[in-house]
Amino acid sequence: MSMDSRAVVVGAGMAGLVSAIRLRQAGMDVTLVTQGIGGIQLGQGTIDVLGYVPERVLGQPLAAVTAYGNAHPHHPYAILSADDVRAGVEFLRALLPDTFVGDLERNYLLPTAIGALRPTALPQVTMAEGECTPGKQMVFVGLRQLKDFWPELVAGNVARTELPGGGRVSTRAAWLDLPARANEVDSTPLYYARAMDDPAYRKRFVDALRRVVEPGETVGLPGVLGLADRGAFADITAQLGQPVFEISTIPPSVPGMRLNDALTRLAKDARVKVVLGSQVLCANIDGGRIRSLTVGTTGRPTEYAGEHFVFAPGGFESGGIELDSYMKVSEPTLGLPLWVPEGDLVVADHNAAQPLFSVGVRFDHDMRVLDTAGDTVHENLHVAGGILAGASRWQEKSGDGIALASAVRAADAILESVQNLEGARNA
Amino acid sequence: MRTIDTDVVVIGGGATGAGVVRDVAMRGYRAVLLERADLAQGTTGRYHGLLHSGGRYVVSDPRSATECAEENIILTRIHADAVETTGGLFVSTPGDDPEFPDRFLAGATASKVPAEEISVGQALRREPRLNPGIFRAIAVEDGSVDGWQMTWGTVNSAKAYGAQILPYHEVTGIERDGDQVRRVRAHDHKNGEDVTIDCTFVINCGGPWAGLIAGLAGCHDVEVVPGRGIMIAMNHRLVNTVVNRCIYPTDGDIIVPVHTVSIIGTTDVKASDADRLTIPADEVQEMLDSGEAMIPGFRQSRAVHAWAGARPLVKDTRVSATDTRHMSRGMSILDHHDRDGLKGLLTITGGKLTTYRLMAKNVVDEMCQQLGDTRPCRTAEEAVPKSESGKTYVVTHRLEDREADRMEEQIICECELMSRKMFLEEMRGRPSANLDDIRRVTRLGMGPCQGGFCSTRAAGLALHDGLIDVGRANGLLELFLKNRWIGLWPILYGAQVRQTALDQWIFSGTLDIEHLPEPEKAVL
Repeated sequence: MSMDSRAVVVGAGMAGLVSAIRLRQAGMDVTLVTQGIGGIQLGQGTIDVLGYVPERVLGQPLAAVTAYGNAHPHHPYAILSADDVRAGVEFLRALLPDTFVGDLERNYLLPTAIGALRPTALPQVTMAEGECTPGKQMVFVGLRQLKDFWPELVAGNVARTELPGGGRVSTRAAWLDLPARANEVDSTPLYYARAMDDPAYRKRFVDALRRVVEPGETVGLPGVLGLADRGAFADITAQLGQPVFEISTIPPSVPGMRLNDALTRLAKDARVKVVLGSQVLCANIDGGRIRSLTVGTTGRPTEYAGEHFVFAPGGFESGGIELDSYMKVSEPTLGLPLWVPEGDLVVADHNAAQPLFSVGVRFDHDMRVLDTAGDTVHENLHVAGGILAGASRWQEKSGDGIALASAVRAADAILESVQNLEGARNA
Repeated sequence: MRTIDTDVVVIGGGATGAGVVRDVAMRGYRAVLLERADLAQGTTGRYHGLLHSGGRYVVSDPRSATECAEENIILTRIHADAVETTGGLFVSTPGDDPEFPDRFLAGATASKVPAEEISVGQALRREPRLNPGIFRAIAVEDGSVDGWQMTWGTVNSAKAYGAQILPYHEVTGIERDGDQVRRVRAHDHKNGEDVTIDCTFVINCGGPWAGLIAGLAGCHDVEVVPGRGIMIAMNHRLVNTVVNRCIYPTDGDIIVPVHTVSIIGTTDVKASDADRLTIPADEVQEMLDSGEAMIPGFRQSRAVHAWAGARPLVKDTRVSATDTRHMSRGMSILDHHDRDGLKGLLTITGGKLTTYRLMAKNVVDEMCQQLGDTRPCRTAEEAVPKSESGKTYVVTHRLEDREADRMEEQIICECELMSRKMFLEEMRGRPSANLDDIRRVTRLGMGPCQGGFCSTRAAGLALHDGLIDVGRANGLLELFLKNRWIGLWPILYGAQVRQTALDQWIFSGTLDIEHLPEPEKAVL
């Protein structure tokens, strides 16, 4: 069996979904093949461009992208420019209007679920009030039935932190005893988020909140403020009559899930064909071009043919890159050549960004994979996201900027090549 | 400064020291145990978890084999809650010496170690992952034992008999009055306080550190060489029976199912410093190859953690002939009166976890003889607290507990099924504990996620409960992750890399842990 699609995208994280939607919007026939749900919901649901270099980046993250790329020739930002990042972020923002705040002119500084102040370029609207400014009064409110948000830890650390321009936030911790579901003592953020989709539950929640919140306080809550109902946050804020914000917890992260759900729905609504739960087994190659991918679909392998391929399987976290017991790294799906940093890949310092996690594929500005000699591996294969070599995404807070810039560049390079081909034909 | 008056000071909080303090207390002496770190944090907690049947020594060391067989029965009775009666197999893998199994069976008969040859088919039915190429299989009564739980059971029994147990108390001096030991000085690291203990007898159970401790009493040249061995915990119970290679004891020839994991061990390399044990990459590869010989596909299973322990190997040129009467193979008692002219100090070292009780009995017998007392050892007669029922451990115990309390209790560590209540009980009992101290008792963070999900919960819960302040919460979290990494990075490959990537995403990416405010002082 052979299904003909013009473009096949592998991976359903930020990079895969965004490139699929962009290609589809340009009129291309797109199939997205993915082994599982992508990594967006493992993250915090913000758009990080560049937060640490390693000093904290506060103003002008795009200028920092340029400087960082110039200083680090192996980093994705050495190839992807600040304009690419802007194009990627603006594309996402156009896809998801009213979801984010921020203007790429500065980074927000928001408390994490343990009370560190984390820089990000575009927080979700639901997080914006968490910005720490001198003299602000914050109360962090935990839920007795949720074990991944400890308000004493958040409040204590935020209060202990001197803000970059001087001054501090004054903080307090409080608790609510309000099960997400009757008699449940051990709830995940997801259970709470589903409960918050119900207006009646929200009313009970705000009534309980009112009893612990003081006038003048900004209210910090775990990231559970609604999943399907996009009006939940505005409703809670309006009912309480005080500023509210949410803080992403460790996975599953509800703000990340909302983002994942929204992008997946956009892809499906745009009639991207999404093939879920299917592992790519191999590429079928002919004359330096990939003709099709063989995919392990239910029952028997299926071949997905196309003229263009976007490969965005993620890095080690998703199995996109592997390290075997003989300590050899590989890209197990297509066998792509990997860039490996010099020196030890894993180091004894637990606080260091492990060099292993910067292993990935090298690429050109059309997001084509390059081999060690710098030559293109497959003419029609483009890569994006966490598989790109050279970044320490988690320490740098650069993962979303890299994913968006590379996804849009990959899609645009494909579209440019089609236009060039058509232009040549017309001429 | 605190002052304590007692009869006997026991130095070293491993299995041996715990056994000695229990024995001493049960014989009616006042006793104090000093341990410089946490109980069972040294060699006792850094082994493969094997409760020997004696099978391992039937050819190489028949006397140790007999002792192991006898002690195995006693420990299973008095430490039921720490022992799992897994049974063991000695199997000949392809290429192994075909003559050895017959020597093994003869040795087992001679040393009274129960052993029975079974067919290869029976062995493979019992352990389906075993190499189908095995050609002999002998069943023995090996078990597995949690060294931490056993040690805590032992000291809890000692406490019930009036002993004082002082972890995180490092001995700084042993003082004499003429030729008689009179006083031990220690520093309480948790409270930053000096302690003086007046006593009439000191028993040095320092294991690899015994030489340093003897030196504090002016008894020099007690040379204990640390024999470093590495162990690797694999994520699953690849076997439910202890599997040994039926060969003359060598490296990497045992796989022990302990709790939810199976542990492969071990190597034996002379180390220079028992406080700085490495986990060399070549030894890791050697263990994986050995695992592959017993269980094909071993390399594809997931390694979650590795550690190195130091065997105390005594190399003493000044042991007088009179000492040898107390020596059985592998365990040595040094009488410092004979050796150095100092009364009231004995050093015991060597030995193995399975024979800890016997070692304690031997050294306390010697002490009683020197003191002119005839108080019999009773440690084999009575079970330690929580083992009275005689019900041995099974791997599903935690599941049973959580099934019972799931409507009331949160699970803080999902991998090891540790509840909020379990954590709080331990932490409230020891508010100065760090998360590793709690881990050794509750298994917090010992599963596949290696602290990725549970460590912030633990720190947050301790803070919420008012047991610590926020600076200490940060410090405990940092220390815990640092210590987990020591055992992770040397075996980082395969599925554990993926887990570690997720953990880095959580801690750096989402929580930005590197940018927490610094703890005000280093935590312990």
